[in-house]
Amino acid sequence: MELEALFVIGMFLTFGVLLMTGYPVAWVLGGTAVIWTLIGVVAVEDFGANLWFDYPSSMGLVPERIWGIVESETLVALPMFIFMGIMLDQSGVAEKLMKSMVKLFGNVRGGFAVTVIVIGVLLAATTGIIGASVVLLGMLSLPVMMENKYDKGFAVGTACATGTLGILIPPSIMLVLMADRLAVPEASVGDLFMGAFLPGLLLGAMYVAYAMLRPLFQPKVAPVPEGIEKITWSVVWDVAKAVLPTAALILGVLGSIFAGVATPTEASGVGAMGALLLALISGRLNLQVMNSSLQQTTRTAAFIFAIFLGATAFSVVLRGLGGDQVIEEALLGLPFGPYGVILTILFGVFILGFFLDWVEITLIILPLVAPVVQHLGFDLVWFTILFAMCLQTSFLTPPVGFALFYIKGVAPPEIKVTDIYRGVIPFILIQLVALAIVFLVPEIATWLPSVAYD
Amino acid sequence: DDLRWKMPVAFSTNLPGLGSPAAWVADNLTTASDGSIQVRVYEPGKLVPPFDILQSVSDGKIAAGYTWIGYDQGKVPAVPLFAAVPFGMKPWPYIGWYYYGGGHEMLQEVYANKGFNVHAQLCGIIGPETAGWYKESIKSLEDYKGMKIRFAGLGGKVLEKLGASVTMMPGGELYQALEKGTIDGTEFSMPAIDQLLGFDQVVKYNLFPGWHQQFTAQYMLINKDEWAKTTEAQKALVEASCTAATTRGLAEGEYKNGKVLAGFQDEGVHAEQIPRDVLLELKDVTDEVLKEEASKDADFKRVYESQQEFMETYKVWDERAYLPADL
Amino acid sequence: MTVSEHDAPKGGYTPIPVADEFLHHHTELPTTRISQWLDAAMTAIGKGASWLWLVVTGVIIYAVVSRYVFGQGSVLLEEVQWHLAGAGWLLGLAYTLVVDDHVRVDVLHERLSLRTQAWIELFGLMCLLMPFLALAVYEMVPYAISSWEVGETSQAPAGLSHRWVLKAVLALSFAMILIAALSRLLKVTALLFGFPKPIRIITGTENKEDAS
Ligand code: NA
Ligand code: NA
Repeated sequence: MELEALFVIGMFLTFGVLLMTGYPVAWVLGGTAVIWTLIGVVAVEDFGANLWFDYPSSMGLVPERIWGIVESETLVALPMFIFMGIMLDQSGVAEKLMKSMVKLFGNVRGGFAVTVIVIGVLLAATTGIIGASVVLLGMLSLPVMMENKYDKGFAVGTACATGTLGILIPPSIMLVLMADRLAVPEASVGDLFMGAFLPGLLLGAMYVAYAMLRPLFQPKVAPVPEGIEKITWSVVWDVAKAVLPTAALILGVLGSIFAGVATPTEASGVGAMGALLLALISGRLNLQVMNSSLQQTTRTAAFIFAIFLGATAFSVVLRGLGGDQVIEEALLGLPFGPYGVILTILFGVFILGFFLDWVEITLIILPLVAPVVQHLGFDLVWFTILFAMCLQTSFLTPPVGFALFYIKGVAPPEIKVTDIYRGVIPFILIQLVALAIVFLVPEIATWLPSVAYD
Repeated sequence: DDLRWKMPVAFSTNLPGLGSPAAWVADNLTTASDGSIQVRVYEPGKLVPPFDILQSVSDGKIAAGYTWIGYDQGKVPAVPLFAAVPFGMKPWPYIGWYYYGGGHEMLQEVYANKGFNVHAQLCGIIGPETAGWYKESIKSLEDYKGMKIRFAGLGGKVLEKLGASVTMMPGGELYQALEKGTIDGTEFSMPAIDQLLGFDQVVKYNLFPGWHQQFTAQYMLINKDEWAKTTEAQKALVEASCTAATTRGLAEGEYKNGKVLAGFQDEGVHAEQIPRDVLLELKDVTDEVLKEEASKDADFKRVYESQQEFMETYKVWDERAYLPADL
Repeated sequence: MTVSEHDAPKGGYTPIPVADEFLHHHTELPTTRISQWLDAAMTAIGKGASWLWLVVTGVIIYAVVSRYVFGQGSVLLEEVQWHLAGAGWLLGLAYTLVVDDHVRVDVLHERLSLRTQAWIELFGLMCLLMPFLALAVYEMVPYAISSWEVGETSQAPAGLSHRWVLKAVLALSFAMILIAALSRLLKVTALLFGFPKPIRIITGTENKEDAS
């Protein structure tokens, strides 16, 4: 076992170092697999290492494993939810929501922040990707909040963190990917979607509480805006009208999954069609928009699947070198008891989340730890949701935090990187508190999937 | 030199009868050979996706695999006859035909004829599956029309002919699809396994008999070059271990199913028999489908005819010798 | 790029807030004549394949509607979905490499000089990407051929036949990434060693627009 442990550490180390060069993650994974195949073969054939390792049953199996990804029906939902998110972005639905809701919440202290969070939650329930929601929320809300003298960190943190809810609240491409990798009946895409629903809303509610409470103690972060019109019935009516298409889409996608009209894969197609129709109705759909949306879907799907390709090679080589046993024994050998093992895994994922993004962690780490968790007798839905919440947090943690990159791109120039870092810290803490709540009260994740079936 | 065989499996080894024999064979071979053959089991998808076990064993990428070979009917049309046959044999006549009626030899030829470089060894068998789990009971052939159902293999083709809308959802999605009405029914396996997927919690009609799958057989596939490397003693050991695993797998299912089924009844599941006239009609359609398949592939035809011939003579014995089940 | 009350265009086309733009840091390599040519081919295939997403959407809608309205679903339609979706992203892989949209850990990378970035690129191409692709293609070609030789069909009786087609697309798509990688290699050597002759410096974002 000594040698195996050494090889496993070596492989992860190689990956980590090469990653820092900034060469694309997908190819670093694939390349590391090739390098360690070579090392493994030399160790066995030239140095007589006592390993169950050879080329054919590691790198040699890459086509079969990639074919397994190609023929996965579940994964069809991934590009479809991406296409849906991009089309929704095009439809202008969020813009209309923002404009009408600002009037509704505007004259409350912290009202703009609350508006952003409410819209963020609604958007999260329609789209499964983060890039689009962070960019959209940032573009729509930051100028308004700056105009009204909001604290820069408070404003940008709110927009940034809220945008990440989309990856947790269903539909979510992350949950699709997790279900595909877990491949067990007790944690199907549908189970995970239902399991993530309440934790997602809990986070949304905690964000809202923060946005309302902090200005109470620190009025300077969110001044009461001047010159906002009073709420009239016509304002309420405007909001209702703006919410309608979003509500319809949520009903179409989540409703059809929860009501059993469609499988999650089919619902992704229904959602894409719905978003397409919304874009059409808004009059913004033309050939050029269609073309670039489709191309962006391809590029986004391709970069995720590319990581998939690298990760599948990485995993099979790691497994060949005995990685599974090493990690299983290491985890089970921990002296903290079963809950301690879960906490250790989650802590590890939280730390990895600083440097890696959710795709690699889902593809490499989840399949390694899931059997251990199952072996310890824990509910796999509960664990996966905790895992997902850790990964959602990883979008906010520097140096590699995609939500931070996205928001930096759209923030007005007066917002500095330090404002962004300062702004997201409270939200990272909220994430950790929510994680602790779901850890202590598993029913938040497991109740909905269980009642849905009785 | 000691042989080290990595053996991916198509079913999780915690599934009684279906996956458990693989773990048993691996342990037994390693122990009984005194380590001269060491077998390491890889759970489904860990090494290679279940549907590609044949290919990767044949290509020599892995030494051995353990699978339900019916998954390969897209590559070797005749294999379903060795894996599960609608209105086919019960487990014991099947092993009778396999060991003594030339089945084992025919299977090697069937693979070789399609260019696959494998030695196949019957290494597990279970009794009938249930005819499935349904929202409503089935009273006539008409009931299949428009039914949304998950049904694998040749049986699926039969139902498709009867106007059902047949899908092939993965096991993991079935529970929810059934609960939510995305499908109206599904077959999966025998009660001891179906129980693990929780179908009894969501639909209340469990139909019998399992006309589409009276036996379900699993095989250990070994790369032929690797097989050639084994000594006579090792070959004998593989054969003996697999024969024992076949017996034990059958025993495990037979031992567990009754109790599980009784438990279902306590939870309000209706175990119903498909009416005899419906079964007769299903059999007619099945014969049609099998004849069609036979006309498309010479190996299928040969094996099918051999099985039919044996079943004719077996019937003479079967009808008379066994006590009726209700006595 | 802010959209607010006053500067929102009246109907019609709104510029797309391409989220990737804010994420991907592109190494600004010069191009070469051969690279230009290869990139154009890979990009055209990738962009063409993008239309498959619309087709998949249509197939899914058709499958759902036909199940509920006409009471017939089919294995065939399910398989058509993953065949088309699979082809969609497979054929998009090379295009994504051409426009340099694969995710990197940028922390150090964007602070490095262009030449250092190019050296990293050279190392990555020669030691990581190309060996990986070469091995994959080497294994994938026989994999597709054996599917063709046995006339592999779906394991579902009512499924699609001709599995080899998509398996060939798999091998082809990896060969295409290899071509895109080769083109990138030429650009890197053009920058570092002046061979082949560099044509002009282009940025990643421009590249995205005019590589078609
Ligand atoms: Na979402
Ligand atoms: Na991070």
